[in-house]
Amino acid sequence: MSILGDLVVLLVNGLQTGAIYVLLAIGLSIILGTLKFVNFAHGALYVIGAYLGLLITQEISISNGRLAEWGFPAIGLDWGFFAALAIVPMLVFVVGLAMERFVARPFYDRPDTDQILVTFGLAIVVQELIHALIGPRTYSYETPSEAFGLLPLSGPVGVPLSSVTIDVWRIWVIAITAILVIGVYAIVEYTDFGLVVKAGTRDPEMVRLLGIKITRPYLVMFGIGAALAGIAGVVGGPLQNINPEIGMTILVPAFLTVVIGGVGSIRGAVLGGTLIGMVQVTLISLGSVGLGGFEVNFTPWAQVGIYVLAVIVLLTRPQGLLGSEEVST
Amino acid sequence: MAHDDKSVSRRRILKNAGAAGVAGLAGLSGCSEGGDGGDGGGDGGDGGGDGGDGGEDYPSLGNYPIEGDTATFGFNVPQSGPYSSEGEDELRAYELAVEHLNNGGGWVDEWDDLSGDGVLDYEVDFVEGDTATDASTAEQSASRMVDRDGVIMFAGGSSSAVAIAQQGVAQDKKVMFTCCLTHSNDTTGRDCVRYSFREMFNAYMTGQALKPVLVDEYGDDLDFYQLYADYSWGKTVEESMRQFMTEAGWSEIDSVATPLDTSDFSSYLSEAQSSEADVLFLDHYGLDGANSLSDAVDAGIDEDMEIVMPLYNRPMAEAASSAIEGIFGTVAWDSQIDNEPSNSFTEAFGEAYDGRVPSGPAQLAYSGALQYAAAVERAGTFYPPEVIRELEGYEYDNIGMDEETMRACDHQAQRAIPVVRGLSESDQSDGNYFEIVNITSRDDVGYGCDEGPAAKCELGDYGDE
Amino acid sequence: MSDEVGSAEATESGDVERSPSLYDRWLAVREREATIAVLTFVGVFLAPFILVVLPELLGIPRQYSWYRNLVILALIWGIFAIGFDLLLGFTGLLSFGHAMFWGTAAYTAGIFSANVTGSPIAMILVGTTAAVLLAWVIGWISLRRGGIYFAILTLAFGQMIYYIALSPLGNLTGGENGFTGVEVGPLLGLLPLGAEIAFVPDALVETWMYVLVGLMTVLAVVVGNRVLNSPYGIVLRAVRENEQRAEFVGLNVWRYKLMAFIISGAFAGVAGSLYVIQRSFVPIENTLNWTVSGEIVIMTVLGGVGSLFGPLLGAGLYMYVANIVSGMPTIGDFWHMILGLVFIAVVVLAPNGIWGRVEWLRERVGETLGGDDR
Repeated sequence: MSILGDLVVLLVNGLQTGAIYVLLAIGLSIILGTLKFVNFAHGALYVIGAYLGLLITQEISISNGRLAEWGFPAIGLDWGFFAALAIVPMLVFVVGLAMERFVARPFYDRPDTDQILVTFGLAIVVQELIHALIGPRTYSYETPSEAFGLLPLSGPVGVPLSSVTIDVWRIWVIAITAILVIGVYAIVEYTDFGLVVKAGTRDPEMVRLLGIKITRPYLVMFGIGAALAGIAGVVGGPLQNINPEIGMTILVPAFLTVVIGGVGSIRGAVLGGTLIGMVQVTLISLGSVGLGGFEVNFTPWAQVGIYVLAVIVLLTRPQGLLGSEEVST
Repeated sequence: MAHDDKSVSRRRILKNAGAAGVAGLAGLSGCSEGGDGGDGGGDGGDGGGDGGDGGEDYPSLGNYPIEGDTATFGFNVPQSGPYSSEGEDELRAYELAVEHLNNGGGWVDEWDDLSGDGVLDYEVDFVEGDTATDASTAEQSASRMVDRDGVIMFAGGSSSAVAIAQQGVAQDKKVMFTCCLTHSNDTTGRDCVRYSFREMFNAYMTGQALKPVLVDEYGDDLDFYQLYADYSWGKTVEESMRQFMTEAGWSEIDSVATPLDTSDFSSYLSEAQSSEADVLFLDHYGLDGANSLSDAVDAGIDEDMEIVMPLYNRPMAEAASSAIEGIFGTVAWDSQIDNEPSNSFTEAFGEAYDGRVPSGPAQLAYSGALQYAAAVERAGTFYPPEVIRELEGYEYDNIGMDEETMRACDHQAQRAIPVVRGLSESDQSDGNYFEIVNITSRDDVGYGCDEGPAAKCELGDYGDE
Repeated sequence: MSDEVGSAEATESGDVERSPSLYDRWLAVREREATIAVLTFVGVFLAPFILVVLPELLGIPRQYSWYRNLVILALIWGIFAIGFDLLLGFTGLLSFGHAMFWGTAAYTAGIFSANVTGSPIAMILVGTTAAVLLAWVIGWISLRRGGIYFAILTLAFGQMIYYIALSPLGNLTGGENGFTGVEVGPLLGLLPLGAEIAFVPDALVETWMYVLVGLMTVLAVVVGNRVLNSPYGIVLRAVRENEQRAEFVGLNVWRYKLMAFIISGAFAGVAGSLYVIQRSFVPIENTLNWTVSGEIVIMTVLGGVGSLFGPLLGAGLYMYVANIVSGMPTIGDFWHMILGLVFIAVVVLAPNGIWGRVEWLRERVGETLGGDDR
């Protein structure tokens, strides 16, 4: 197999891993940047998205959740993956609105620690609710098969110029993420709505004094962030195990993405997510490398690597790679 | 030990004392201290007092003697995490075993030792726990069963790390443990304990069973690459596969550890793919195994390489569906094995659970619980050291795997090993996911008490020395 | 928190300005270290009787009442929680990475016991030293950023250490298996921890293990009390109330915070070492994983941030719910969720936790008794 082939696989895997982090980090970062609100329940939105997606896509049988005892041994709509991809963002958007209105808003004026504590508690409640109702076991999506009869959505395809094959769904994940990111970026950068949000990030007092109602844009931004997290749960689903704990597991790398990229910056989130994804995948793929007589095996360091990356960034550039000073503190 | 002694006798005194009140209690417990303090043989002195319970002349030890007339078993299985499918099936089998022990049915009707009316006049009850496929949670859950629920024995597994952690609890608290699915060499090797027994074979024996089949099928001068789960089980599978395949003339290019509970193996697999090896060993189990195999097939690896999964089972094959085609491996047991015990278990299990076909782990769970109960009946007591002595060196052929011996030196069953090969999706229709290639006789696998994994085994004490 | 300060001030002013009422005098006594030590001692060594023996006498089913090992566990977590509260309650810094100190101490003590000596005292010393050194380094880096960044940074460091122990150092730590080679020796070379104490009635204290953990708990409370009532503790409170003002009067706030972080790490280290001594096993998911950091946050906040005994109460409550309520029919499956809901309720409605409520009640009662309206 050629080196070119290896690089292609590396790039696809890295970007795809990063794409999930990007989707999560954008919402987290904007909410932190504009509302100064720390959302430890952002991972819960991801879990909600993943489970909603699962239930819309297929029918699952529940073995040791409460729902089975209550007369629902199997639930799910079995509408297919694309229905999930379309419906889940809307549902999670609504969940996000509710979260802003009933959880976040009463806490905007409370200390950071209280925000962290209450959202952490909320994350536990969501996780345990799923645990109790649907059960602790791990589910997986049926892989989406053909898209619109034209392009394959899954299975291996050959890459021109080399002999490798890669799973097409990974490329789709990257593509969907790219489209969404560009869309959100356009909204924030080029619409009046985005202008208000951005102004609010800089100086909420002034925006209020100018007579602009800032509550609604914030609400909508929160919803958009939530929807992105929900989509991450759906597009990541076919590549991932779904269980109640995944929200807590993914929260930490999502935070790292924000910290590395810079709070409040969409471009930062993209850069941070991509970096983390690439570092993780590259370390795994490096394997054992001889360094001046020493044999160093990088694979076990893959998970550690992203934390080292975060620490280096924070020590050298505390506001994050693309964060601006005034937003970061 | 002296300590356990008194805590139980104190409890009984409390019970009997009833309304005697606190002052009386202090006096009584003072008595019991005076009674057996001083010498190491204090057990004997206290034994007489306990004997009143069931005419058994043994001192209290661990959770023995049982309070009341119900013997509680603890079933600690993975209900979450990558091995949860296996855990669900194990729990079904354990519940079935308890049902049969109390009311007859299944093997209980066929085994002479068992009455179908409880065990030693005790009704059997059980508590269940979730190991979360993780040694930490399992150890916590097992300790809780022993401390809170007062279980007389506990059983469970899937994941050798989990089994080994629970073995530690068993030996420490002097409460017996019966391994379910654990395939690491260390379970009855480096980490073996007196208070635990294993019916399942191990990675070393899998290597012995797979070697001739693989050489026969694929040739004798090949390069291989291994991905293995990064814990006790995966490491010993990796070692054993390397040992036996190298003996067969194959050479290893590399072997790479993957974390337990990995959902996406593509990056690891891409390395394997570029190694240009002839054979890829996926030393993964449960959902991890199903994922790594599916990812390998998705990446087209099966077109360039032969894939081997040293250990798999029915739920895994079900999850991997078409990817399992042509894959060699070993299984604990399968319903296709045609003999009297296997058929009757398959039938009883199917009757209890809507026609479901039991998996290998289910058969291990069921047989483990019944073997323990039968040993208790033979010993005539729940007193753990006596039950252990009953099981050590026990010879049997009643669980569907021919003649077996539970070896005394390392508590490892010496038994036959089914080698299987996955079926294509079209052939899977009738509920079978693999065909049995060969049932390797126990004479062709195994090792002496002073070699292989057993060389590192020191079982520890019985608790009545 | 402010309650504590308030009552302390009231005591002092009460001594000087007014003839002390009965209640004030009692308050003064209560504040004294010796009293606290004695009260804690009595409480700790009566706990097995009240929690384990008494319910049995009353005929409460075994599976609904405490068991002795659970009391030990609750005290160990209590020590951890007291240390955590010294940081959160008295400097306002919320760490989401305290698992790393608890876990590093656990691994160090465990590996030390396997390779050097199993003396419990030595294990505690070595484990705690490791935790202190780690806290020094991590604190030095993390305290450069305040508020949310501090929480995220400690979380990230905690997970980094978890992953280091899990894979790259797997040969040393046992990785996913946990560290199984722990060899705990007898206390002071002659008292096996599991052995019974001959001269104390069973109904009170059963094993030397309990004595060790109980004494460490008393020590933790006394040290915690000393820290808080020293000039040093006053500065910490000042920092929490208004960091800028503290800085203006010339205090090196950063150094005080770092010191608080290290002290907190030391408590976690003592507790982590005890945990390994009790279990004879180092379970990775229950030591280094960030779920442990989350648990300690919940215990402390539930019990009552900013008080000395609140965290102990919180740890006890958490242990009871996680180990006993979880086994009850019907609500058992929902224990974690119920805990989460109660936790949210406490954060929203009762920032001083359950202990805060108790204090509030006690003060109301005290007012009626003392008859003054301070």
